[in-house]
Amino acid sequence: MSGETATPLLELVGIRAGYGTIDVLHGVDLRVMPGQVYALLGPNGAGKTTTLGVASGQIQPHAGSVLLDGHEVNGVSPDSLARAGVCLIPEGRGIFPNLTVAENLRMSTYAGVSYKQVQERAFAQFPILGERRNQMAGTLSGGEQQMLAMSRAMSTDPALLMLDELSMGLAPIIVEELYEQVATLAEAGLSILIVEQFAQAVLGVANEAAIMLHGKVLRTGPPEEIAEELTAAYLGMS
Amino acid sequence: MILGLRPSVVITTAVAVVGAVILTIFTWAGSPVTSGTFLVATYTGLFLGALWAMYATGLVVVYTTTGVFNFAQGAIGVFSAFLYWELHVNRDWHSIAALLVVVGLFAPALGVLLDIMLMRRLRTATLVVQLMVTVAVMVLLLALVGVVWEADTARRVPFLFGIENGVDLGPSRLPWHRLIVIIVAIAIAVSMRYLLRRTRIGTAMRAVVDNRELAALNGARPNVVSSTSWALGSMLGALGGILIAPELGLDPATLNSVVIIAFAAAAFGALRNLPLAVVGAMLLGLLRQHSETWLDFGPNFQIAHRSVAPLLLFAVVVALPQARLQVGRVAHHLRRHERYTNWWEGLIGCGVIILLAVMLSGGWLNFKIWDPAPWGLLELNSANAALAMALIGCSLVPLIGWAGQLNFAPLAFAGFGAFVYLKLAGDTASGYWIPLVGLLCAPFGALVALPAARLRGLYLALMTVALAQAMSLIFFPHPSVIPRTKVGLQFPDIELFGITFDDRRGFFMLLVCTFAIFVYALVLLRRSRFGRRWIAINDSQAASATLGVPVVWTKVVVYAVSAAIAGIAGVFWATVAGNLDSAQSFDLLIGFEAVLLVAAAGVSIPLAGIFLIFKPLFTGLAARLEEAGNVDYLVTFLDQLVIFGPGLMAIGMVFNPRGAIFEMGRGFSPILPWRKDARAEIAAENAQKREPEIGELGLERPFTPEEVIAIDRRLGILDEVVPKEGYGNSRS
Repeated sequence: MSGETATPLLELVGIRAGYGTIDVLHGVDLRVMPGQVYALLGPNGAGKTTTLGVASGQIQPHAGSVLLDGHEVNGVSPDSLARAGVCLIPEGRGIFPNLTVAENLRMSTYAGVSYKQVQERAFAQFPILGERRNQMAGTLSGGEQQMLAMSRAMSTDPALLMLDELSMGLAPIIVEELYEQVATLAEAGLSILIVEQFAQAVLGVANEAAIMLHGKVLRTGPPEEIAEELTAAYLGMS
Repeated sequence: MILGLRPSVVITTAVAVVGAVILTIFTWAGSPVTSGTFLVATYTGLFLGALWAMYATGLVVVYTTTGVFNFAQGAIGVFSAFLYWELHVNRDWHSIAALLVVVGLFAPALGVLLDIMLMRRLRTATLVVQLMVTVAVMVLLLALVGVVWEADTARRVPFLFGIENGVDLGPSRLPWHRLIVIIVAIAIAVSMRYLLRRTRIGTAMRAVVDNRELAALNGARPNVVSSTSWALGSMLGALGGILIAPELGLDPATLNSVVIIAFAAAAFGALRNLPLAVVGAMLLGLLRQHSETWLDFGPNFQIAHRSVAPLLLFAVVVALPQARLQVGRVAHHLRRHERYTNWWEGLIGCGVIILLAVMLSGGWLNFKIWDPAPWGLLELNSANAALAMALIGCSLVPLIGWAGQLNFAPLAFAGFGAFVYLKLAGDTASGYWIPLVGLLCAPFGALVALPAARLRGLYLALMTVALAQAMSLIFFPHPSVIPRTKVGLQFPDIELFGITFDDRRGFFMLLVCTFAIFVYALVLLRRSRFGRRWIAINDSQAASATLGVPVVWTKVVVYAVSAAIAGIAGVFWATVAGNLDSAQSFDLLIGFEAVLLVAAAGVSIPLAGIFLIFKPLFTGLAARLEEAGNVDYLVTFLDQLVIFGPGLMAIGMVFNPRGAIFEMGRGFSPILPWRKDARAEIAAENAQKREPEIGELGLERPFTPEEVIAIDRRLGILDEVVPKEGYGNSRS
């Protein structure tokens, strides 16, 4: 799938970035090929979320470049990237709690899909959202909130989907359900970059995985191999 | 639960209805109720309501789309109304053209400007700073109106289509202008509701308040969206101001005060619900007009009709569920940097204050600007007025600065103190009563604390606005509270220790000493258990409660202390004035300005009250310079500074939220010989700028000697003698 000649959809080269004067990423290199499901794993504080922040335009790197489909996009604002088809579902329920479910869906229309279509697709994937369309999103259950957040990925035809800690704080059965949706998206050929601390669920869907530690991508490889090294990495024995 | 309503709502409504019925029975004026008079009262009420609804709509739209409660909403209307007058009346433009230019061009530009310069930076600011900056914008806009359109000429904004033409409604005529106002108000509310709920830009405006980053991830441009919100809010304010101006006349203060009625209407809709806010405004208009038509409160409560709005605001705020305001807004706390002032440092400071006052007033300090001379009556009078305000400012330090209880009603407390003193001391003016005034004001403060205890942030601020308004409309105007004397002063010169402070200089020294004592008392309070508890409940009520701090009791105490300070200050303040004209002396605007200056100074610092001498000080200085002649530009500059200073200083909080005194202190304290800590802090800051980055904690390569020093310095184990070599291998 990822031949030498193909252009990676997302490529990070030597990214150094952080918050204020403190660097979190110390030279991150990463490439997500078209159609690939790339799992970025690592313990708490490894810099996974910061990596997604850089890739989505929220954090400007101090050094290095971000390439989308071969074009350098350093300094492009997150909203421009979003309209261009980069879809990041942030960690901890990416929803607007004081907006209704329907209004949350209306916010997904900036990427170019019509409101009607967004609603149709979201309600088809998650019928429960259709039942609660006029309810404040903040009053939904945790799982429903994550479904609402995910529905942006399902309904807006993104070019690149990035998921941050999809499973955080959710019951295993809901996590399973959400990952089934991710698998469906992957089958349809969408490129996905998934960040997870707990690897079980994600390794089933991924066809490329990487371990991140202390702000660097330590190792990249097929998910099966990475899974074996994971424990060692988490315990700092790498 | 009755009809799905909360018990507090049901109880408050019941009390309000029963109270209104009883009030009606006892104050019925006895005029015959005919369908004609009833109809007139009703449509006049609806019209009033429509006027208020326009401002309330603006408030609600700005609040839901920016998260900022805009105290300046009325002032934007005032400025726009004056601009409209300038174009339409003074320059003879067609009314439509003038309206289009002001509402369609000027107002949105002002809104965008406000957003880019100020509001955008306020997103993570504390509520105190947020509110203060909007109050500052209000004060600045009003000051600008006063400077551009001097009050020497009478101005009128004509009614659209004239006042005579209109629809016949039975016994009287409803002018087109008023009909238009009612229609426009309802149309605006409906279209805003549609915009906010049914369009993507409206949804995005609300989404940006909820979660700005996520809105950007969705593809909305957050800065464009919030600028649109401010432009829209500003347009609503402008339109409201222009349509209200013909009714109330072009007087900045009167026009601006309408916004406080709109606060009540907006609160009726929980600050977010547009239809309810409009209903609230209409309800207020009807209540006001019908009570004026049918009820007679007697000669002592002539302006009590106007208190409908503050009373409703009070009731609504107390009855509202409190949690709703918190949703979606992250409370940001400033890191506290101020250190405890030592008891002896406080003593030295107070000594310096007194010494400076003596030297200044004695004319011993020569600034080479004018001939040094002892202060005359003029300077002493303005200095005394200033010091009395500074004393009132002291009352805000524990309440706002430490306990975080926003209070816009310091003058209501001060006025209460003046009232108590009048009752106690009467004509004798014995100063020995003053401490007792403080003791008696404390329970009044505690009484206010009871409803305030469950309120937070914005609702609390609104409650104090309502309190100040209601007191100045119902309590102070009553002749038996502060009787108007035909001859002599209500507040004669204070007598203390066998001295009558009848000469201005003596009274000045008494005020200076009182101020020094207050500041020192605050220094000691800050060091006490109470000081710690107040700051603790401000930081986290929940955490304080789990530690065993009685939260409600702690709040009651801080209100009592603040009221006691303000009450005593009120005695001096009333004595400086001699007579209190009740309607003017407790004006909310004066209170706003006082709170603004104290906040700009740094409200958590005991000395913050000193900033209230700002205005009289510079006025006095300007007068002195004018006498001396030949420095006209400086006089003009000082005059402008007096007008715009408070607002500008408060706006400075956007960039420097800890206040001016804090920053000045940071620069000044390293000079003091005993402040090793201040010098160390500066040194540490400089060192941090130079220090190399520590890198990845030596995991990948050995530490270099510079890094070892850096680590040691961070850990605080650095010896005076810096080792040149050693600690592992140096980088090759």
